[in-house]
Amino acid sequence: MSSEMEPLLLAWSYFRRRKFQLCADLCTQMLEKSPYDQEPDPELPVHQAAWILKARALTEMVYIDEIDVDQEGIAEMMLDENAIAQVPRPGTSLKLPGTNQTGGPSQAVRPITQAGRPITGFLRPSTQSGRPGTMEQAIRTPRTAYTARPITSSSGRFVRLGTASMLTSPDGPFINLSRLNLTKYSQKPKLAKALFEYIFHHENDVKTIHLEDVVLHLGIYPFLLRNKNHIEKNALDLAALSTEHSQYKDWWWKVQIGKCYYRLGMYREAEKQFKSALKQQEMVDTFLYLAKVYVSLDQPVTALNLFKQGLDKFPGEVTLLCGIARIYEEMNNMSSAAEYYKEVLKQDNTHVEAIACIGSNHFYSDQPEIALRFYRRLLQMGIYNGQLFNNLGLCCFYAQQYDMTLTSFERALSLAENEEEAADVWYNLGHVAVGIGDTNLAHQCFRLALVNNNNHAEAYNNLAVLEMRKGHVEQARALLQTASSLAPHMYEPHFNFATISDKIGDLQRSYVAAQKSEAAFPDHVDTQHLIKQLRQHFAML
Amino acid sequence: MLLPVFTLKLRHKISPRMVAIGRYDGTHPCLAAATQTGKVFIHNPHTRNQHVSASRVFQSPLESDVSLLSINQAVSCLTAGVLNPELGYDALLVGTQTNLLAYDVYNNSDLFYREVADGANAIVLGTLGDISSPLAIIGGNCALQGFNHEGSDLFWTVTGDNVNSLALCDFDGDGKKELLVGSEDFDIRVFKEDEIVAEMTETEIVTSLCPMYGSRFGYALSNGTVGVYDKTSRYWRIKSKNHAMSIHAFDLNSDGVNELITGWSNGKVDARSDRTGEVIFKDNFSSAIAGVVEGDYRMDGHIQLICCSVDGEIRGYLPGTAEMRGNLMDTSAEQDLIRELSQKKQNLLLELRNYEENAKAELASPLNEADGHRGIIPANTRLHTTLSVSLGNETQTAHTELRISTSNDTIIRAVLIFAEGIFTGESHVVHPSIHNLSSSICIPIVPPKDVPVDLHLKAFVGYRSSTQFHVFESTRQLPRFSMYALTSLDPASEPISYVNFTIAERAQRVVVWLGQNFLLPEDTHIQNAPFQVCFTSLRNGGHLHIKIKLSGEITINTDDIDLAGDIIQSMASFFAIEDLQVEADFPVYFEELRKVLVKVDEYHSVHQKLSADMADHSNLIRSLLVGAEDARLMRDMKTMKSRYMELYDLNRDLLNGYKIRCNNHTELLGNLKAVNQAIQRAGRLRVGKPKNQVITACRDAIRSNNINTLFKIMRVGTASS
Repeated sequence: MSSEMEPLLLAWSYFRRRKFQLCADLCTQMLEKSPYDQEPDPELPVHQAAWILKARALTEMVYIDEIDVDQEGIAEMMLDENAIAQVPRPGTSLKLPGTNQTGGPSQAVRPITQAGRPITGFLRPSTQSGRPGTMEQAIRTPRTAYTARPITSSSGRFVRLGTASMLTSPDGPFINLSRLNLTKYSQKPKLAKALFEYIFHHENDVKTIHLEDVVLHLGIYPFLLRNKNHIEKNALDLAALSTEHSQYKDWWWKVQIGKCYYRLGMYREAEKQFKSALKQQEMVDTFLYLAKVYVSLDQPVTALNLFKQGLDKFPGEVTLLCGIARIYEEMNNMSSAAEYYKEVLKQDNTHVEAIACIGSNHFYSDQPEIALRFYRRLLQMGIYNGQLFNNLGLCCFYAQQYDMTLTSFERALSLAENEEEAADVWYNLGHVAVGIGDTNLAHQCFRLALVNNNNHAEAYNNLAVLEMRKGHVEQARALLQTASSLAPHMYEPHFNFATISDKIGDLQRSYVAAQKSEAAFPDHVDTQHLIKQLRQHFAML
Repeated sequence: MLLPVFTLKLRHKISPRMVAIGRYDGTHPCLAAATQTGKVFIHNPHTRNQHVSASRVFQSPLESDVSLLSINQAVSCLTAGVLNPELGYDALLVGTQTNLLAYDVYNNSDLFYREVADGANAIVLGTLGDISSPLAIIGGNCALQGFNHEGSDLFWTVTGDNVNSLALCDFDGDGKKELLVGSEDFDIRVFKEDEIVAEMTETEIVTSLCPMYGSRFGYALSNGTVGVYDKTSRYWRIKSKNHAMSIHAFDLNSDGVNELITGWSNGKVDARSDRTGEVIFKDNFSSAIAGVVEGDYRMDGHIQLICCSVDGEIRGYLPGTAEMRGNLMDTSAEQDLIRELSQKKQNLLLELRNYEENAKAELASPLNEADGHRGIIPANTRLHTTLSVSLGNETQTAHTELRISTSNDTIIRAVLIFAEGIFTGESHVVHPSIHNLSSSICIPIVPPKDVPVDLHLKAFVGYRSSTQFHVFESTRQLPRFSMYALTSLDPASEPISYVNFTIAERAQRVVVWLGQNFLLPEDTHIQNAPFQVCFTSLRNGGHLHIKIKLSGEITINTDDIDLAGDIIQSMASFFAIEDLQVEADFPVYFEELRKVLVKVDEYHSVHQKLSADMADHSNLIRSLLVGAEDARLMRDMKTMKSRYMELYDLNRDLLNGYKIRCNNHTELLGNLKAVNQAIQRAGRLRVGKPKNQVITACRDAIRSNNINTLFKIMRVGTASS
């Protein structure tokens, strides 16, 4: 059948059905007739069409959502000077998580991440703006934790997402960028857009850092050099002139330039472009990009205002609502975040992120039954993975539905994709075992967790507590020390170490550890109590 | 005696003139100041307790009061105040050479961030004229821009040179604020919205301005002069060998009238009475003063005067109470005064003794006529001064000549001329060597600008052997266009550039104007209209033709657009013309301007490319740095070394790139300045409303990048028709 069909139509059909590889192959066949597929023959519109289609197919293959998928690299994290305020007022910055103003669950109930922010219910790449204190810490963390953080965001994308280089055809790349006459393309708006996306997404390659420039040029040419073009092209016909004109007014190009600037880390320039694009045409995307710029500049309040402006224009837009909720969550304002997630669910009741976040929020605020309902909803929606069953198991346990607990965990174990996940499941199982008083099972579970993931600080800590109960003080201390070196942001190992040292009479170490614990969790009553006691001891001496 | 009520020592340097106090949260006044490496610090001593639990980093109490803001660029101006009246608290405005940032400190968010190509050298915040919302007005390269809280520019105009200082003051007493602009061409201009209502010429770059009260304002120059103006007339001024870093108006002695507080570069702070300039209070810091501001820093309801030094020392003074009026100085200052007075007395006594001895000698030998050394000259001696134009010869370039002669055989020992803006350092002394003393002296004068100047002369007159001389004082006005010599008519030399306009005045009046503003030879007789006069500039030999027709149509031919503007402005003020539309054509100048505009475009595009390159490089540097650190942690010294080598090379590249970018930027700035100046010159060719129309239309043309329209506007004065 395919032999009888017009190839271009077939290619289009492939493209529509998202069979991009087939589409690209077909387009390549069509283009082979022309001597060199570097530049489409202007005489043959079919060739031009095939060329565009191929570029688009190749782009779609590696297309990633620029807004959501953006990981901050170590370099950005450590060497970031974009934020204006270095010591901002609490509650106005993402860097410095505010103290719990809204009365959410305290650290003792809900664990926190390294940045001192409660663990959310949804893992997303762009939420970790917590900054480690030193470069050493920053570099060590990715080795131990299971998010391999890239060195810079630009290099990171190549490693994880930019698989384009592997997809290129064996007989050289589709478009040889160095030979491209960009000025020429910039005058053909339809070609230019396809070409831009191709360069931006597909050719984003480590070795071609200069490409970013190229991208910029392409984008900027139509209007920044408009004047030059204008003079040169005075002789050209009116049609060309009018397209030039329309390009100057084209918000799409402005957004693209903004994207390029954002990638290059020139946030202020990006802000300018996005703002000017918003003036011309209000788009949800542009709002999201601009908000991203503000988040990078560490101005969450501005970003929130922007989202609210966006909501005035696009009432009930889920991505905007979700953006607000995420920012609140990162600012540690859980109640507002939950409110906005609920708003999201009103608009889109299958929004996974919102359901998961509300669920975890309920779970940590001692309402496991309600959390269970949310997780069940996720299950209904067809999400079937280890994490979900793990959470279900925990909820069941705390909601005292013991019959479901173990089966859920069993499922979670069988669904665990990698060892880290399995370690988490075993750790949680150990928790359940502690809850039902089966210390031996708990001991085994934590051991298994450590077998699966040698860097599981929480498991080390809990194991140490078990050892302590058994009276193995030295072992417990060693375990606690490991835990605290692995996760200095957790207060538990420090506190446990302080208590155990206090018990065996090593007051000095106890005091040091207690102070660390206080630094990690200033409001912890037991720590304060311990420090007070120790101070009294010292005073007596 | 007035003592500081508080003294703080912050461990941060403060950049001169970049200090502001604002209530960033609506209640607590905080001090914001620019410090080194593109940072701004905010000293907030009021909310100390809230910080403790928030930050995990341990800080000493004084440290935790100071929070730093990174601007990442050298800060060129800074102020604080209410920008958005709805917010109810102050915004911090920070200007750099390329950007203006309005920042909400309380919420850590931008109000706006604008690129300003002309730079921001000075900033002032407040309401201007009839514009209802508060504006942040910045002055850059020949341009003034006012932004409201949304960042849209509601006010734009051009001025003669780089702006150095700005102030808002009710200059004409109509209850609305006018904008005072001090610029690098030594002028203080007063803008009523975008119209210039007054211009005062000073002798040096105007570094600061501050409103006192009513129409009175203080000013400071870069040569160490400070003084007070009331409207266009100067009240008083003093000159010091130090530089005035910051001036501020504050009522320090509680008499209801603001004093002028000056902070000097040697660390002195003094308060001077606004009427006389008499020092009523002074204090010393160990380093130069960075800024003088006022605010209720102790939150006790009393406004304090707060002085900051560049080393971060801050002192606050409460105004003196009514009982200690006039008694603000400590005793040592009074002793200084007594010493000064006794010195004066000593001098006077010496002078008196001189006179007595003279009189004695006269009595002793009344008939000895030859003893001129006693300093007696005939009573009818007069001093003549004449101004003329000298075309110059081989030894001397063309100049204006001031000839001073006595009416008899007495000689002139020395002449002191005091005039602003002609000589370096305001005054000029001529004292011929003892052998060629004569009864007349010729002094060449070359005024650098076409401005009318009063020459205050002091001539020492006596006999050749006199030891004491009589001093003759006289004042002579140098006309505005004294550097132009009348020449014979020569149609061949007529410049092609011209301005053309019509005035409703008789030709005789124009002749009177010519007589007042040019140095015409005495025998010149100008017949009735129509007539034509021709001048040659002594500076560059350029020609100037002025033609008047019977209908009152005047054509001025000159290649110098500035001169044409000066002539029109001078005529307009002489004939009291309010609005004057002018047709002008300066083909050579316009051609240059066209080239400049093309260049500006080129520089812009190069600038874009360079900054993209730099951003890319800095990304690379970051990744290399992390890579090197990674290698260090893994003890892989070889890789680490190679990484650092790469880093070193890249860094060098980056530095080179930066130099290129810097050059590019200075060129761009120079060209932008030229464009702004061109607009200003085109405006100066017109008077009143047409002038403003030209400036606004020119700006619109530049915004829409329409060069042809721009030239058309400069030619005919409007975009349409």
